Amino acid sequence: MSSPKKDAAKTVIEDVLQKPSSRRLFIKGASIAAAAGSAALAASYISAADPASAGELKLRWQEFFKKNYRLMSPEEKNETATRLERLAKFQDNIDVQVGNEPPVEKVLYGYAFNITRCEGFMECVTACVKENNLDRKTNTQYIRIFEMEPGQLDPSTGDGQYYHEVPVEDKFYMGTQCFHCENAPCVKACPTKATWKEPDGIVVVDYNWCIGCRYCQAACPYYGRRFNWGQSEVPKEEITTKQHYLGNRKRPMGKMEKCTFCIQRTRKGKLPACVEACPTGARVFGNLLDPDSEIRYVLKHKKVFRMKEELGTQPKFWYFID
Amino acid sequence: MNAVPHKNLKTFFVDAVRWNLKGSIGFQIFRTLLLIGMAVGIYAYSFQARYGLSVTGMNDIVSWGFYISNFTFLVGVAAAAVMLILPAYMFHDPDFHRVVIIGEGVAVGALVMCLSFIVVDMGGPLQAWHLIPGIGLFNFPSSILAWDVLVLNGYLLLNALVPAYILYSHYMGRKPDERKYRPFVFLSIFWAFSIHMVTAFLYQGLPARPFWNNPLMGPRFLASAFAAGPALITLILAIIHSTTSYKIDRKVFNKLRMIIVISAIINLLMLFSEIFKEFYFPTHHSISAVYLFFGIDGHNSLVPWIWTSVSVNLAATLVLAFNPGKNNPKVLLPACGFLFVAVWMEKGIGLIVPGLLPSPLGEIVDYLPTWVELGVTLGILSLGITIVTWLIRTALIIEQRYEE
Amino acid sequence: MKTNIKFFILPAISVLFMIVLLKGGAIALANEKSLLEEIKGVNEPFDSQSVKQVQPVTQKTVLAKEEYQGGSFRVLARKHLIGRYKCSSCHTNKPVLVNQGLELTHGNVVINHGLKGEGLSCIDCHHPDDQDYLENKKGSKIDFDHSYQLCGQCHFRQKRDWLGGAHGKRVSNWAGDRVIYNCASCHDPHSPRFEKRFPATYSVPLD
Repeated sequence: MSSPKKDAAKTVIEDVLQKPSSRRLFIKGASIAAAAGSAALAASYISAADPASAGELKLRWQEFFKKNYRLMSPEEKNETATRLERLAKFQDNIDVQVGNEPPVEKVLYGYAFNITRCEGFMECVTACVKENNLDRKTNTQYIRIFEMEPGQLDPSTGDGQYYHEVPVEDKFYMGTQCFHCENAPCVKACPTKATWKEPDGIVVVDYNWCIGCRYCQAACPYYGRRFNWGQSEVPKEEITTKQHYLGNRKRPMGKMEKCTFCIQRTRKGKLPACVEACPTGARVFGNLLDPDSEIRYVLKHKKVFRMKEELGTQPKFWYFID
Repeated sequence: MNAVPHKNLKTFFVDAVRWNLKGSIGFQIFRTLLLIGMAVGIYAYSFQARYGLSVTGMNDIVSWGFYISNFTFLVGVAAAAVMLILPAYMFHDPDFHRVVIIGEGVAVGALVMCLSFIVVDMGGPLQAWHLIPGIGLFNFPSSILAWDVLVLNGYLLLNALVPAYILYSHYMGRKPDERKYRPFVFLSIFWAFSIHMVTAFLYQGLPARPFWNNPLMGPRFLASAFAAGPALITLILAIIHSTTSYKIDRKVFNKLRMIIVISAIINLLMLFSEIFKEFYFPTHHSISAVYLFFGIDGHNSLVPWIWTSVSVNLAATLVLAFNPGKNNPKVLLPACGFLFVAVWMEKGIGLIVPGLLPSPLGEIVDYLPTWVELGVTLGILSLGITIVTWLIRTALIIEQRYEE
Repeated sequence: MKTNIKFFILPAISVLFMIVLLKGGAIALANEKSLLEEIKGVNEPFDSQSVKQVQPVTQKTVLAKEEYQGGSFRVLARKHLIGRYKCSSCHTNKPVLVNQGLELTHGNVVINHGLKGEGLSCIDCHHPDDQDYLENKKGSKIDFDHSYQLCGQCHFRQKRDWLGGAHGKRVSNWAGDRVIYNCASCHDPHSPRFEKRFPATYSVPLD
């Protein structure tokens, strides 16, 4: 207040702020800045890389406005699969086949895990990572194996991050993944119906429909769901090219994903990658509606239990002891 | 007052803009700071837009963090406007009638902040149109998030349109027609309770998270909201009283203090009830509370956080209740401020992170917000304050001129 | 009066809401047991050929000599994987006269089957007179492709489970013709226990 310099500065600022022309200028400037800011935001969201061609842009435009997969007609499903194949060629220069196999009639998939036979080799984990094109950068794993101390069957008492020679004497091993609950809390929680239970029992996610709110991840009691926090990276030579729309195709950033019982394999009659990879045969998979299946034999003759049974989620994944 | 010959909706908006661009030096500096805050937010968010949510501190275990914590707390602040509306319209309290418009302005600002926090927390915000029923798929009534979308937007409309109508009538120099807006005011009273109960049900309805899956969440949210919200409104009213010519009667502050004290005491009672349940006979379900209050296996980053929050909460409640200094604002206003911060700590990070830790398979990670999260939060906070300032400033100018 | 009616709206709405919630909860609880009941209620056989795209197993298989709950099934053949089969090419009536024969053929076999010191010996499984076959304790000849008949004599529980599907594994497919691994596919008969090894990978901590 005392120095003339301060006074001069103050008057200048007041002049600048109170002159009518500067108000208009300010509004102009502010609106231009706001428009530029929102355009920058939108642009950074729409593309990570520069689009190569008008063709690719058109494919992405169509992909953006498509329906929820469940509501699509078979033709629309084929169209979107084709678009995804062409986008994969444009963006990553790989040839993939995105399938749309519908569920097999009269099939309800069930899974059993033999905790006597599991030796903690984690071959299932590597097979799953490879088969489902999981992000290598963040070491995303659908399957977790826990080294357990006998006495409790709760994975929270076990060690999920062991790395030593297995099996350790007097310890047993237990694996978890999405259990494909019949009464899935994640399906109930999703605000846009982006995740649902297919007629053959597999709980799937439509990656393009998901808005990334992660409410389903909060609702899952089994740590079954994974989120694409960044864009997934898979080395080109390791990509599994036989894909399914609801399965192991390249997931967009900011979407939820999970074990799909290898939907790209099981709907063609093959075993999931984890079952096929297990060296000790600790994993059993089959059709619960087939009274002669192996899974029905296990349920009938073995002492089976499910995790967190008291929550009433009705998982289709049973543990048993030999 | 200039005799403007022709007033209409267009001049209403133009005048509103004009009034918010003019002002004292202090006001201009305040506005510039807010603009800088918003610019920081946009800059930080651009990283998130480019690289995804990996630039935040969240991961598959702590899948909700700083953004959702602030969202949860601010829904309470928005609901707390009802504590002004209730006395003003239900009990026809004349003192509150003068300040109710300020409460509604705060509610609108808080709601905009809530919706912004949700948008920045989403992994696919461009897919938000999938929520619109008809065009997208809306999982109503199964998903509580769908309910939350409905009630929050409904409350925003109620709290924006009703005061807008009243203000516009006052601006045009005529008395607003009570029969037109009174039903909506009563609707908004009940709606305020529902927005916070529904937000509480978001967490309460998850059996996967035993820390949240208890019946007290809804009532506890209401109690803490009605303590923190009016505390904030008290501070804002004090600022308005001291910096503008819109004078607010002492009685309003006294009544607000009563509301805050009662709500804060109920909140502390409920806190005690939760602590008893978790620690009298600890079960496996208590492990999140153990992590929060005592730490597990060396993971104790939240222990000082929660103990500070609870002690400050207790101290502020006692100060406000026993009123040492006999309504001295130098005692009561800081107490309100501290109570607000304490409730924010406990209802934000102190609720969301322990609910998610330990993970359903028993693993614990340490969560810390990154600069991106802090920057975006600053941006949204600036946005909220800007909106509240704009709304209150416009409202008070119109109200004062109407009173003349 | 208008105010009085408003006082009743909220309680009325909440009561209605609670009735709806309770009803929903009751229905959900009533459905609790239905998954296993629903599964057990299905008794019609499943036509596994209905999965059109299943690709048949390409490895050599034999028809198993026993049946499982779903009828007949196939087992992976074993003989073609044994390097020196047929054994009778060396083992004739006369003693084998190959220089350093023991080391060149299968003298490096260490039997680690059973308790230390009290384990099995060669002729516990191999037919002493006809080396192309195995011999069970009843004296019958067992083909190498059907070794399960031998293993199952002692390990009858595992064999029962293997027939049913709780032990061992199907080859490649869950649908189509049932082809399962034979005992020796996973267990080296001379040292059947799985060796200790390092896991194929590990889980990274998230922070």
